[in-house]
This record gives sequence, structure tokens and C-alpha cells, in this order.
Amino acid sequence: MSNLVFWLWFGNVFFDTIGQLAFKAAAIAPENKLAAEGGGGLVAYWCGLVRRPALWLGIFSYVAEFLLWLAFLTLVPLSEGVLLGSVNIIVIMILGRLFFHESLTPLRLIGIGLVALGVAVVGAF
Amino acid sequence: MRKFYLIGFLFLLSFDTLAQISFKMTAEAAAPPALDSAWFLRIAAQPWVYLAISGYIGAFFTWISLLRRAPVGPAFAAAHLEVVTVMFASFWIFGEQPDLPRLAGAGLIIAGIIVLAFSEKQQEAEAEHSRG
Repeated sequence: MSNLVFWLWFGNVFFDTIGQLAFKAAAIAPENKLAAEGGGGLVAYWCGLVRRPALWLGIFSYVAEFLLWLAFLTLVPLSEGVLLGSVNIIVIMILGRLFFHESLTPLRLIGIGLVALGVAVVGAF
Repeated sequence: MRKFYLIGFLFLLSFDTLAQISFKMTAEAAAPPALDSAWFLRIAAQPWVYLAISGYIGAFFTWISLLRRAPVGPAFAAAHLEVVTVMFASFWIFGEQPDLPRLAGAGLIIAGIIVLAFSEKQQEAEAEHSRG
């Protein structure tokens, strides 16, 4: 793997992870919940959501990830590129635990591990 | 709660698969690809591209709604069932035959999601228990 390919790969994992964590943070922001419970319901929830900087950080990350992905695929065949997905799954699992205190029961670890393995097998051959 | 996850993921997968299939339809209808204005015009003239964009927007709203309650780690993994649905939709619509490793990978993904479904059931039972 050349230096450039590595950094494109790293950037893709980085922005995918930031994007997912930002979306999660925006989705559970207490301000939105208060607005929704204050009688506004779903409309108030979504109106609050568009004012969350985390939501826009997530959207920005998605766009950045998409551009890096295109650049990555011009240098690496798609079959090798798909392996990226498995790394993302594991990294987001670990950071979900760190940032949102999500419990990682043995069943969850096995389930997430099987999905990550399956995505790698689909991509690797 | 289980119904919420089931319906949520069903919507997410439908929107995601719709977007991927529509992108493929767009690309085929606008072939040959070239980075020129003629290609962009051919794309913009395709109804498929607007269906693809609608699929993405629908998937975005569904995903945020799911994340209001679902833990992001297991939910992000479970969303990869999309790989399997797109594989089967491609076979059905475009006749793209999945080879053995792809089918094996799809099997692993499905197995992982069944395990995740069980883990949610267990979490729910434990939450119920601790509430007394």
C-alpha cells in the first residue's frame, strides 16, 4: 500500500466514524428531546435537529468520506476497497462504547464480529 | 421496541437498496461515462437519478430516527444487511450471479444480524428484570 493510498484509506475510516458518532450525538441531543416532549412532537424534534452543529458535522463528514472513497477507488480495485467496511464496523463499535457507554455483551460482540467478517468475505474475493 | 427496530431497519434497507439499484440504472442509461457536460446532462435527464437521491434522503431520515434509540455500534453493523439485499436485488434485476464467496459472506452477515436480534431480546429482558 503506497503512502497516498494509506492516507486516503485512513481518511475514509476517520470521516465515516466521525459522521456516525456525530449523527448519534445529534439524534439524542437533550435539546431535541425537550422540544419534542414540550408538545411539538416530531416536527419540533426535527426542527431542533437542524440546529445541532453535530448534524452538520455528520453531513460534512459524509461528503468528505464520499470524495475520499472516489479518490481511493481510482487507485485501488473495488474488491480491496470493500474491506474498509469491516474496519469501520469495528471502530464504530469501540467508539460507541467509549462515547455513548453502549454495553458490549458477548452476544453483541459475536453479532458485530460476524457481520464484519461477512462484509470482509464479500469484499475480499 | 422490537417492532420499532424491525420497521426501522425494513425502511432503511428498502431506501438503501432502492438508491443503489437506481444508481446502477442511471449509470447504465447514461453510458458511456465521461467527465463532460453531455454525460451530466444524460444523467440529469434520467428519472432514475432522482429516485436514487430520494432513496438517500429517505435512508437519512430513517437512520437518524433509528439512532434516537438504537446504540450506534450494533445498529451500524446491522445496517450492513444492505450488502445482502443489494446482492439479491442485483441478481433479480440485472442477472448478476453471486459467486460462492459472496454467498458465504452474505450468510455470515445474516448470521450476525440474527445474533444481534437475540442480543436485543436479551437486553430487553434484562432491562425488564432490573425494573422488577
